[in-house]
Amino acid sequence: MATSFAIFAAKQSGAEEVAPDHILLGCLRAISRFGIVTLGPWSLDLEALGVDWVRGVDTPRPKVAYSQQAVQLFDRAARIARSAGSVGVGVNHLLAAFATEETGLMKRLKMAHGITSASWRAAIAAIDTPGANDSRIDEMESSKKETRQYLTPEEAAEMLGVHVQTMRAYIRGGRVPAFRLAGERSIRLRRSDLEKVLEPFEVEEKEE
Amino acid sequence: MSYFVVKRDLPGVTPEALQSAGLRAKSCCAEMTGEGQPVRWVRSFYLPEKAQTHCYFEAASQSAVEEANKRARIPFTEIAEVIEMTPDMV
Repeated sequence: MATSFAIFAAKQSGAEEVAPDHILLGCLRAISRFGIVTLGPWSLDLEALGVDWVRGVDTPRPKVAYSQQAVQLFDRAARIARSAGSVGVGVNHLLAAFATEETGLMKRLKMAHGITSASWRAAIAAIDTPGANDSRIDEMESSKKETRQYLTPEEAAEMLGVHVQTMRAYIRGGRVPAFRLAGERSIRLRRSDLEKVLEPFEVEEKEE
Repeated sequence: MSYFVVKRDLPGVTPEALQSAGLRAKSCCAEMTGEGQPVRWVRSFYLPEKAQTHCYFEAASQSAVEEANKRARIPFTEIAEVIEMTPDMV
């Protein structure tokens, strides 16, 4: 979620690349409540930091790539995650990677709030916000997938625990209705239709 | 949708750099899919003796896979379409 917020922030600002400032905004937004981030002794208002809740992204939607500085930040976050013994890179690791940042938005935050590298890391370590748990990025993606009504054949196969070729055979045989996205080759399956291929297992009674 | 392999030569790459690249790839694929250009990173294999990775993607076109990798800023040497085969299929 933090990364999608970061990309959105870059698109919204009309930038050509996703820079560390966008990633910081994305991370803060991911752990915010009602636009406010409470971090250690600081309360950060996202609107004051430039988050615009109303304005969308100009059309045609720009395509943005990560900047070289953003790549270095991800690398640093991955090193922090690994040294902390975490399996995945979470929002907290990305935020911790900003501790030594002395440019851009982080520099402004440090100057405005008297934040030091140590106090920032201490505040990140104390976060008890649902959006900042380890591997939260993965968890949020999978929970989004669990509530989606339309699935790809691969996701549907995973849901039923069958091979994707088996799922494609169900589709070809008409056991699962498939829908084509307008103008696209890709298809989607309705979650509720997948239960139709499940037949009740009847236990045969033993003759005594 | 087709499958593609993305080959990369990454001498001296660290496990952390691979994890960082994976996170960037995943977020860029999600972003492109949200934009209506579905791309899915399926899985990757690292070949330590050759310092190479072979990363498998599912997408409608090779150009979509190329764009996802460029957006994620992950270098590659070759992208080629592949045909999937698993033990279940033979």
